[in-house]
Amino acid sequence: MNDNRRQVLEMLANGKISAEEAERLIAALERTANGTGATAMTETDKVKYLRVLVDTKDPVEGPTKVNVRVPMQLLRAGVRLTGVIPASAREEVNNALRKEGIAFDINNVTPQNLEELIEQLRELTVDVDNENTKVRVFCE
Amino acid sequence: MKGEILPPMTATVHVKPAGWRHGIRLWLPLFLFWLLLLPLAVLALPFLFIAAVIFGVRFWASIRAALAILAAFQGTKVEVENAKSRIFVNLH
Repeated sequence: MNDNRRQVLEMLANGKISAEEAERLIAALERTANGTGATAMTETDKVKYLRVLVDTKDPVEGPTKVNVRVPMQLLRAGVRLTGVIPASAREEVNNALRKEGIAFDINNVTPQNLEELIEQLRELTVDVDNENTKVRVFCE
Repeated sequence: MKGEILPPMTATVHVKPAGWRHGIRLWLPLFLFWLLLLPLAVLALPFLFIAAVIFGVRFWASIRAALAILAAFQGTKVEVENAKSRIFVNLH
């Protein structure tokens, strides 16, 4: 057992972190040890698509099913587009976001950050389920 | 990235209205559309360049980014099905 892993387990034993946090930290350590961090991922490891599945049961219209597959490459290309926005326009965007109460700096959107975000999305699944509608959003 | 600047070359469209025994299946050669669009794009380039200079936008970077977005549509799939019809679009 290496020092980092022991440290995480000790933190868990001492109640400083939760089991979920420990699991995440150990997974991150394993990724680093294997050299499979976000930058070292192979093409096949990358998240390729965002899937949105909607299943509704309208009493009048009847059931409707929607299945959309959006390539993640679209998100990556969109981020590249932010790189060509003039500095003055970026500042305006930031100001507009601030006005809406969103503390977000568009200058921080870089391809590296995006890859990390997409990597986190891999484990994200959004399920909305009510009487007449089921929505599922996930990455694959 | 390999093939990053190539837009979707073909599209598959299936439409099947309710009550139809067989739907309509179309294979659309989008590359013909891009070929038709190419002369117009070339004609528009000088105007876009002037606009980019005026607004302080990096011209070639913008063109590359726009092409990348177009290319990123490859693999998009949309399928909608209800009591009246079923529509399926796939970009290759």
